[in-house]
Amino acid sequence: MNDHQSIYLALSVILFVMGAFGVIIRKNAIVVFLCIEIMLGAANLAFVVFSRANQSAEGLFMVMCVMAVAGAEAAIGLAIFVLLYQKTGTINIDKFNLLKW
Amino acid sequence: MDLIPVITIGVAAVLTALLVIFSKNTVHSALWMVGNCFCIAVLFLLLNSQFIAILQVIVYAGAIMMFILYAIMMLNLRENGEPATKKSLFIFRMALLILFLICLTNLCIGFSPLALKGDMVTQNMDHFGEVNLIANYIFSEGLIPFELISVLLTAAVVGAVYLAKKE
Repeated sequence: MNDHQSIYLALSVILFVMGAFGVIIRKNAIVVFLCIEIMLGAANLAFVVFSRANQSAEGLFMVMCVMAVAGAEAAIGLAIFVLLYQKTGTINIDKFNLLKW
Repeated sequence: MDLIPVITIGVAAVLTALLVIFSKNTVHSALWMVGNCFCIAVLFLLLNSQFIAILQVIVYAGAIMMFILYAIMMLNLRENGEPATKKSLFIFRMALLILFLICLTNLCIGFSPLALKGDMVTQNMDHFGEVNLIANYIFSEGLIPFELISVLLTAAVVGAVYLAKKE
């Protein structure tokens, strides 16, 4: 059961940190969103690896939950981006300080 | 023995993720993200989780990425280059990220040689990831979260329609 588990986990860590790195360095809101999707994919990979190691279907179910949340997030997030673009003409995340006080 | 496909697909996944981050054109980023989704799906297949791999391709590569591409087409993203962040802020964020990487690596090393035995018997492990095992779980123990997911998706769709509605 333990075939190459550490390789998958290392890959998951690398992908997650790369997603976080992208969130830090990019300013385009859609690319930031894509980087969050990379992080979700890495988390899914870790979930499947641990599910196999634990020999239970809970991790697989959690992956389905994560996918559903990602879909909901895409729907709401992109609607917000389009609205912000109509209002301000840009989706540079440094320009948005609406909720800052 | 099957180390080579794992390494190959892993390198491909990392490369596509790098291309997503560093592409100048947002559409190219989105298309490389589709490639990344396919790489993750192949990794799921290598982990014997066929159903999750199919879901990954249909939901991520099919639905979500198509949605993002449509959203990009609605926006005009031909902008001049991105302004750089302040140096001190950037260094602070990178330090935080590296700290995070070290913590995650430690966590993975600590957990790596897992030999836990769950409730699944050994014969069942041959069918791990097939849809009937997942369905059994969903409709017995996972019933309430499953229904809550449907509520969440409905709420998300209603919210998106409300946001897109003209005043």
